[in-house]
Order: sequence, then structure tokens, then C-alpha cells
Amino acid sequence: MGIDYLATVLLSSLSSASILLIATIGLAVVFGLMGVINLAHGEFLMIGAYSALTAAQMGVPYILSIPIAVVVTMAIGAVVEMLIIRRLYGRIFDTMLATWGISIVFYQLAVLIFGTVTPGIGMPQYSIRIGAYSLAGYPLLMIGVAALMGAFVYLLMTRTVYGMKARASIQEPEMAQAIGIESARVSTLTFAIGCGLAGFAGAVLLPIVPATPSMGFAFVIKAFLTVVVAGPVTLTGSALTALGLGGGRVDHCELPHLGCG
Amino acid sequence: MFRISNATGGYGKTTIIRDVALQVAKGEVVALLGRNGVGKSTLMRYATGLIPPMGGQVEIGGQIAPPTPAKRAKLGLGYVPQGRFVFPRMTVTENIAVAAASNGHSARDAVAEAMADFPMLKPKANDLAGGLSGGQQQVLALARALAIRPKILLLDEPTEGVQPSIIDEMAGILKRINHERGIAILVAEQDLDFCLSIASRAYVMEKGSIRLETDRESLKADKALQQQLLGV
Repeated sequence: MGIDYLATVLLSSLSSASILLIATIGLAVVFGLMGVINLAHGEFLMIGAYSALTAAQMGVPYILSIPIAVVVTMAIGAVVEMLIIRRLYGRIFDTMLATWGISIVFYQLAVLIFGTVTPGIGMPQYSIRIGAYSLAGYPLLMIGVAALMGAFVYLLMTRTVYGMKARASIQEPEMAQAIGIESARVSTLTFAIGCGLAGFAGAVLLPIVPATPSMGFAFVIKAFLTVVVAGPVTLTGSALTALGLGGGRVDHCELPHLGCG
Repeated sequence: MFRISNATGGYGKTTIIRDVALQVAKGEVVALLGRNGVGKSTLMRYATGLIPPMGGQVEIGGQIAPPTPAKRAKLGLGYVPQGRFVFPRMTVTENIAVAAASNGHSARDAVAEAMADFPMLKPKANDLAGGLSGGQQQVLALARALAIRPKILLLDEPTEGVQPSIIDEMAGILKRINHERGIAILVAEQDLDFCLSIASRAYVMEKGSIRLETDRESLKADKALQQQLLGV
């Protein structure tokens, strides 16, 4: 076993873990800040993937289709929060049931609109060689994307007024209102951000995981596992768990591909 | 300036306060006295909008208060709850900054002002609020309430669990912000000395209603009333 083999395995493990983190982080934000387990998280990922795919098919460059996917999923997330989730705060099993129902609706809508088979956009073709081994470039790029996403969420929570309001609202909900925080608005925004992160994940992972109506199922179990193992509080927990769960399963597949776990 | 009329409220189906009316004039400091369990805290929570009213209304600065706590804060209602309830996993600075920013004020100015008002918070600026002592948390809760730039400040048992040296300091600070900024204060207390040192007028509550209204001098003089109502 050469050093090149070791480096290859380490890098694929890391990229595999990064992909899991990208898919999970929105779920962690919503669970951590609102105590809501969003079982429709995978479907928001799917919506993000289809938004990006549709935009790309309409001629938008792939890189610009990612923000489009984020906007679409954030908007849908905000509507879902205002119509459904808002009524169910503090009732964790009811929110699970409701979001599960939402996920079924979204899945069926996707089947109706897009059919069950959709062409992927194909992975950007470049790879790097390490000794005798070759690694696809795009999954490796996901390591950087995951790091950027983690940094983004960290800064959003610690350096912005929204982040302070969101943390205040989860720590002392009544006092947060009494000092003038419109907690309903903060909750809508938090849920929308969680969904937007899922949409970002769906879009950015599109070259690796093709958009299909059922792609959400494959993601949500692992994403869910990551958040539950990590606990509701910390981002770092999610990151570490993603590393553990993602890194451990790389040998089963040729490429870090979440569908094959 | 600040007026509560016909306040009736409680928790669930239990009515705790009935038909309470009181008012605080601009720049006035008024005490709300009474033994444990007479409904002082419930009245405070009623005034903030944290419990839904069964009847009556609240006026802040001549305007009828909107139903939600957040909107009342924006009208100028500052609230320091019993038990302080600072945001424990946020720093001292963040506790003050979030209150200012949520009401459209500059967080930076609010923090600078709070550090000038309460020098004891300065060395703790970057500590988590949950790690402060009871007295320090009380001062932080007060600084947080002042960061919304209130017209009226509601203080619920501010001396509870606070060491005597900080109680004296707090009385001094309250007098000063009352004089300098004209902020009206309604303070619910069991510590009669503390109240006598800052308030010019007092309401005495019993069984969920206002039993009488008195001023500082008659309360100071009337030992029988003190004994009977407050058990001091």
C-alpha cells in the first residue's frame, strides 16, 4: 500500500464527508435553532436540484443556477413555515408528521412535473492524479464548498443581527419578544434559510447526484442521522459527525456518491 | 404616560389579577408592593403582553399598546423580569446589542452607553451571560432593557438574590437614569427599603387587586401598614 493510495482514500473520504455536511447543514440549522425536525429536508434538496437543472436547461450557466435554486427553495420554505410549521411549534411529533406529509406532496409533484427519470447535467470532466490513482475533481471541490458553507453559517449566526436574534429567540423565547424581537418573523427566516441551504446543496451536488424525484429519500436518512448523532446544538458536532459517517463509507463506492450508501 | 386600566388576566382559566388600574407619570418612580403571590409578576407580564389579557388595556406614552410584546417594546416598554432571564449562551455585549438592534438603534452606541452606565460589566464584556453572578446578571438585564431606549421601565423584583453592595449600586443607577433621561420606572418589590429609597409613590397589591395607593412619606410613617401588608 503506497502513500498515493492512502492519500486517495483520505481525500475521497473527506470529500464524501463534505458532501454529507453540505446536505445536512440546513437540517442542523433548523433543528438547532427551532427544534423542528424537517423530514421534508430531502425534498427541498430535490427542489433545489430541479431548480438548478431547469435553469441550466433554459440556458443559464450552471454556476448562476445555484443562487436561483437557493431563492426558489427559500421562498417555498418561507411559505411552508407560514402556512404549516408556524402552527406546530413545540409539538415535535406533529411537525415530523406534517413535514413528512409535505415531503410526499413535493415528491409526487416532482413526479408529475418532471417524470421519474431526468438526465443529469454530467460531472464537469476533470480529474487529478495521485500516483497511480485518479480522482474526479468535482467531488474534491466539495471539500472547499463544505468549508465555505460551514463558515457562512457560523458567521451568519455569530456576526449578524439576524443571528443574534435567532439565538436569543431559542435561548429565552419570552424575553426575546419582550425586548422587541419579532420572533415569528425570525422563525420564518430561519426555516427559509434552512430550506435555502438544502436548495444550495441540491444545486451544488447536481453534477454528482442527478436530480430525481426520489433523491430526497436517499439524503434525508443520512442527513437526519448526522444531525441526531451530532445533537441539536452545534455546527461543529454536525461537521464532525459528517466526517465520521461520511468518511466511513467511502470504500463501498467508486466515487463519493450518496445514492449508493 | 403609562397606564394600566381594568387589567384582568392570568394563566389558562385561572384569573390572577382582577380589574387592576394604575398609572405612572412621565419621569416618575412608582413601587408595586405586596407579599409573594399577590399577582405583582402577573401584572408585569400582563403589561408586557406576555400573557394574553382577559380584559382591560395598557397605554404607553398616550398610545394604546399593541397586543404583542415586541411591538410594546418598540413603543418604549422596557422589562426586567424576575429571575433576570439574560440570554445565557450569548456574550454580555451581544445581550445588549441584540436589544438595541431589534428596535432599530445602533448596537455599537448602546453597548458603549451601557459600559459607561455600568462599569462593572466592562471586564465581562466578552463573557457568556450565563456565567455571570446573580447581581451581574441583574445589572445586565437592566442594561439590556435600557438598550431599547424605554420610556417606562418595568422592574420585577430586581433585588432578589442580589448581594447588598450591588443593591445599593442599583438604586443609585436607577435614580440617576430616572433623573438624567426622564425614564419612568414601575418596580415590583418586597424589599421595602429599596423601594423607599427610589420610589415617590407606591401601590399595594393584595389578592390580585390594588388595595391602596400611598406616597413615600405616609408609607414610611405607617409602621402598622408595613407590618400588616409586607410582613416586615
